[in-house]
Amino acid sequence: MFPSQDKNPNDRDLVSRARQGDREAFTQLIVQYQVPLYNMALRMVGGREDAADIAQEAFLRAWEKIRTLRDAPFKSWLFQIAANLCYDHFRRNRRYGTMPDEETHNIVGLGIATPDPQERAEAGERNRLVRQSIQALDHDMRIAIVLRDVNGMAYDEIASVLQVPLGTVKSRIARARAQVQERLQQHPEFFPREDVHAE
Amino acid sequence: MPSEPRVPIEPTLEELSALIDNELDAAAHARVAEHVAGCQECQARLEGLRQTAHAVRGLPMETPPRTFTIPAQRRQAWRWAPVGWLGSGAVALLLIAVGIQNLHLHLSAGPTATSGSTSTVSGGLAYGPAQGQKGAVAPLAAPAPSPQLFDSQSRGSAMNAATVVDPTNSSRRLVLDTDSASYPTTGRMQVTAQLIGSPLTSLNSANQGLTLTLVRNGLGVALNPVGVESWNGTPIFGGWYDIAGFPLSAPRAGDYRLEATWVIPDGSGRVLQSSVPIRLTGN
Ligand SMILES: [Zn+2]
Repeated sequence: MFPSQDKNPNDRDLVSRARQGDREAFTQLIVQYQVPLYNMALRMVGGREDAADIAQEAFLRAWEKIRTLRDAPFKSWLFQIAANLCYDHFRRNRRYGTMPDEETHNIVGLGIATPDPQERAEAGERNRLVRQSIQALDHDMRIAIVLRDVNGMAYDEIASVLQVPLGTVKSRIARARAQVQERLQQHPEFFPREDVHAE
Repeated sequence: MPSEPRVPIEPTLEELSALIDNELDAAAHARVAEHVAGCQECQARLEGLRQTAHAVRGLPMETPPRTFTIPAQRRQAWRWAPVGWLGSGAVALLLIAVGIQNLHLHLSAGPTATSGSTSTVSGGLAYGPAQGQKGAVAPLAAPAPSPQLFDSQSRGSAMNAATVVDPTNSSRRLVLDTDSASYPTTGRMQVTAQLIGSPLTSLNSANQGLTLTLVRNGLGVALNPVGVESWNGTPIFGGWYDIAGFPLSAPRAGDYRLEATWVIPDGSGRVLQSSVPIRLTGN
């Protein structure tokens, strides 16, 4: 088997200080997790302000409840809180439609460098289609693929965030990928169907 | 279809997907990899999944639009009390003129009421006399939310939320939130109260024992909590409320608290109460 992702050894110390009420230590945890947590929420709910609300509320609840955190890794626990908030969000907004897909601004330069304007436009369009395809997934599949392919979590970590068996994680990720693939292939100009040819 | 008889077992979608993630155990990994090496069709399936995973992984990480903070003091996470101070008969849609005062003074000792939970629980704070309270209540029409209910498009950005957990049942929570902590006196406030772990699925607020009250200086106006939906057994109440319609005393602007009180409908007499600060501005 393959080891799960690094459980940041730094967390343990910060968490134990935060449990004593050390705000500074908790603030360091916020700094460490704000981008991945926000992006998880963003890919789940689609809207920036909603995603920021969810991340803020997750940190607040984590801060309030950190004394109840025993041996579980902080990261899984924090993401579990945020995942539950995403589900709360869907519950509240179920009747009222979904947020429109927001145009991207405010992007950290972690993507592929595309200096050429046309390439950049194409990359933007590809990303928009990918975001749309993720948004079209049902919530259970969406969160599985987001935790895996946006947050880079190992399957056992995802299982502990979602509190489901490993087999469920595996099947949700697989089905999510298959559905995203199917949607992307409806745009062959951006996602050409790859046939593997024997040379 | 296997392209060679030597590799008869087609890997499943799950196996191919897990192969990309190196999440198969050694035996399965070897079996699937061997099959794929000899099967063009599975090579194409695998390649498609791999490209999909890469497309998702290629989404740029975005910077949050604001910084996340925690308050200087822990939010008062929850409070509770014997039901005596609020007889079930008083759980109605009324303007509470005087009765709210004890409640307000004791419960809302303010955000400075220390580390929240433990002290408040064990203290089991005694509230004002249960008797005579009804007499102090002056009935008036409760403001009702406007019919369009939530409009997710116009949700404000600053969510204002509080959660209380039932100390005897950690899966039971009262979650109260509004879409902002500050409104003009002519504005509209979006309120949501989720009764997580309620023993009932009813969307009737009286059956659920839920009241919403906007309180200032011992005076409160009760808001009519409208059942929005029951989701997987969780009753959700709320709506948009036009603040201009509230019978508030002058000056209308000022600092209030919105309090949700839930007399848990299981006969135990336990009460959960959540509150969030609300500032009204203008005149
Ligand atoms: Zn095959």
